[in-house]
Amino acid sequence: QVDIGFGGVAFDDRQPVEVTADGLTLDQTTGEAIFTGNVIVVQGDLRMAAGAVRIVYGTQGNQDVSEVIATGGVLVTRGADAAEGGSARYDVASALLTLSGNVLVTQGPTAISGDSMVVNMRAGNGSVDGRVRTVLGGTD
Amino acid sequence: CNFQPVYGPGGSGEIIRNQIRVADPASRLEFELVARLEDRLGTGSNYMLDYVIDRTTRNLAIDEDAVINRINLVGTLTFTVREAGTGRTVQTGEVSTFTSYATTESPVATESARRDAEDRLAIALADQVVTRLIAGAASWS
Amino acid sequence: AQTTAPATLIADNIRFNGSTSVTARGAVEVFFEGSRLRAESITYDGSTDNLRVQGPLTLVDESGNAVFVADFAELSADLQNGVLQSARLVLDRQLQIAATEIVHTDGRYTQLYQAVASSCEVCFDHPTPLWEIRARRIIHDAEEQQLYFENAQFRVLGVPVFFLPRMRMPDPTLERATGFLAPSVSADDLTGTQLLVPYFIELGDHADITVTPWIGVGTQTVELRYRQAIRNGELEAEGAVSWDDLTNNATRAYLFADASFELPRAFTLDLQLQAVSDRGYLTTYGFNDPDTLESYARVSRVRRDEYVEASGTLYESLRDGVDNDTLPTRVAHAEITRRITPDLIGGTLTATLEGTGFYRYSTIDGDDGRDVFRVTGALDWRRSQTFGGLMATFEGALHGGVYNTQQDATFGSTVYRLTPYSAVELRYPMQATTATGVSHLIEPIAQLVWSNTFGDAPPNEDSFIVEFDEANLFSLDRLPGSDRRETGTRANIGLSYSRIAPGGWTVGVGAGVVLRREDEGQFTEGSGLNGLQSDFLMATHLSFSDQLSVANRSLFDSALNFTSSELSLAWSGDRHEVISTYTFLEADLGELRADPLAELAFDGEYALNSGWDAGLNFRYDFMDNEATRAGVTLGYRNECLDMEFSVSRRYTTSSTLEPATSFGLTVSLAGFGAGREGRSVSRSCRG
Repeated sequence: QVDIGFGGVAFDDRQPVEVTADGLTLDQTTGEAIFTGNVIVVQGDLRMAAGAVRIVYGTQGNQDVSEVIATGGVLVTRGADAAEGGSARYDVASALLTLSGNVLVTQGPTAISGDSMVVNMRAGNGSVDGRVRTVLGGTD
Repeated sequence: CNFQPVYGPGGSGEIIRNQIRVADPASRLEFELVARLEDRLGTGSNYMLDYVIDRTTRNLAIDEDAVINRINLVGTLTFTVREAGTGRTVQTGEVSTFTSYATTESPVATESARRDAEDRLAIALADQVVTRLIAGAASWS
Repeated sequence: AQTTAPATLIADNIRFNGSTSVTARGAVEVFFEGSRLRAESITYDGSTDNLRVQGPLTLVDESGNAVFVADFAELSADLQNGVLQSARLVLDRQLQIAATEIVHTDGRYTQLYQAVASSCEVCFDHPTPLWEIRARRIIHDAEEQQLYFENAQFRVLGVPVFFLPRMRMPDPTLERATGFLAPSVSADDLTGTQLLVPYFIELGDHADITVTPWIGVGTQTVELRYRQAIRNGELEAEGAVSWDDLTNNATRAYLFADASFELPRAFTLDLQLQAVSDRGYLTTYGFNDPDTLESYARVSRVRRDEYVEASGTLYESLRDGVDNDTLPTRVAHAEITRRITPDLIGGTLTATLEGTGFYRYSTIDGDDGRDVFRVTGALDWRRSQTFGGLMATFEGALHGGVYNTQQDATFGSTVYRLTPYSAVELRYPMQATTATGVSHLIEPIAQLVWSNTFGDAPPNEDSFIVEFDEANLFSLDRLPGSDRRETGTRANIGLSYSRIAPGGWTVGVGAGVVLRREDEGQFTEGSGLNGLQSDFLMATHLSFSDQLSVANRSLFDSALNFTSSELSLAWSGDRHEVISTYTFLEADLGELRADPLAELAFDGEYALNSGWDAGLNFRYDFMDNEATRAGVTLGYRNECLDMEFSVSRRYTTSSTLEPATSFGLTVSLAGFGAGREGRSVSRSCRG
């Protein structure tokens, strides 16, 4: 029995987001916060590590995060699943996480590699594109 | 075209005489072939001559009593000459001919005629090889 | 649980929905331990670990010999089990089996339902294959390499020909297995119409037996062939037993067996046994029929400078009207030949020592009962030296023998004989090479030979008929055996010319004559060597790259009437192949030939288009103005069928033989059993 799909259980995106990083700069005009140096973003059991993360807040001024953009090599992990790629973009409203730049997704024994990946964190399904390569099965 | 003596100065005789080692024989026919080639070329070790002989027999002159009166030994020999040091192939060729012998009632006379035809086939093939070597030797170097 | 290796999947796009299923689309490929699946889209269901595959899909097994093609399939992730719909299985790129459904289990068994098997190409313009086998079910066992048919129906051009409830055939990759081989039909007005059905029985990896019963009208025959490979040798025996009423003995049989073994110190042991129940049997049944049966045991060794042989031989002549008791049918023989390079005098010394015994069953005194035992030896020294452009060869030889004769009063019981030879040979070859690389070679050769025999003449057992050709024009002794020696003083004169164009025309012409100081009457008319001046010898060789090769050897006197002329022609192109010989020998009582002999033999084959080829062979005797053998063959081969029809007539008669016409038809289907010996033709649909 092999689990495919990210984390299997629907992801609760209302939990608080905690971010740690070496440095932080705030840009009042654009309302963006840029974390640099070993940035780690944690929300519930979802964890994202990246070289630099830019948090874009909503424009309605209600301090809600609308978008998280990570660059400089990103590793997203959740339970037994992990996904890494050159850069990532998480849109909070649609709960869509997009990874691009030779993406590698591993879920237990199964690994999928491709050029880009889109995962709907709420529904737990997604797709990988661009000469995708995966290893199926291989139960112990 | 101007004819030069083969064994004269600058002739191809110098290139092939006492220069070639013929490959070991594996049958009586090849034993006679090597003997004849060494008689005519002498022995040496600068070049290696390898050969493969493909031989068949043909029954001829079958009279009305179904008696085979004449038999041809047909031989086709393909040869390769290689330079000993480098192994570079300097000449390849194929020669072929047939010799014949008559069958008689006596099996002993027929067998001795067959062996004589086999010896002659070896000599005829060897002589044709020597002719080809004389013709090709100029281009070996 | 047994660990199964992971299967690798590659695609343009993978969608995973929920946790258990993945859908791959766009040039999807799945690899598992060598087997490979290619399809448009595959959905992998993690919970059941299997793949639902949307076609058109191809699945190739790890050996590459089995390729499945289908529109839809459900397979296990390891591709070893599954069901394919409206699929085709292609075995070894030859045999195609189409089926409504294919069930593949354990990567070994494949069951094909409502299957049609054929190795013929099926194209739009002619959809029905030349032959096909329809079956309710075909099971392919990849491990045993066998195909099992249930309710099989054999069709030719769509027409049902025969029906078999059960049938087993080897799959195209099977090299060797017990089973039927391709049958053939032969009809002959002596042995009747027969269906030959060979059955091959495998006895382990190193031996096998083929039993071929002739099923038909007229005579009953079973052919047998046994083969065995041993660590240092091999053995093969073929034979047949027949029951017919053509002669007074009811059962007739033959056995031909031969074996060869490698012995220590580079010796080889050769054994041969040939026996037949009666003289006409081999020719009547079309088995290969030598004039003389030869059974022997022989040990021999060949080295660069030494030849050693020891043999015991038993002959049996099958010639009509010959009494074997009066022929030397039992022969014991041993010889050693050594080639040595003496230090002092240089050159090459060839030393030979041989002992031979001839034994005749009959004890009648004289030619019919004589037994001879002899020991002969020969020393032959030769040395060549160049003087400027001249190559001189000095040769001296001594041939001696002691002969013991029994049961023939005309010869002393023990006879000694010695024959010295001496010879000088001069060659002056000249060569020219043109700018285009064509080389010409002219070589005048002259040789003076003296020899004389001291001692009495032994009985002549081995030197009856003498041949004269360019190979023995310059030999010391042209007699084939050692019981007679060529004696006297004679000059051998020759001139040869060669034109050698690599890849183009190559011509070789050699002419020669023998001039004797005195005619010792040693040679018969037919040899061309008789008289003070021999016949002129002309040997011509002509060849054009490797397509045409003509060789002729003629002996004629100054008045241009021919003593003998033999021509051989071999001419081949990409569509034809011709081998023909013409032989003319004048009458010569010395050679027991009362009237001249002139025979043309021809064997030609021509490839017509679209797979057909026609062949003609005949043997024509000009003296009797009739053919002694004539035959026509017609063959058709394509990628799935190999058929040959032949008809031939033999006109020879003898007390045990009458003229006979025989027909032959062999049909073999491609795609069953490996090994088509190069007759396979690949064909693709045009247009």
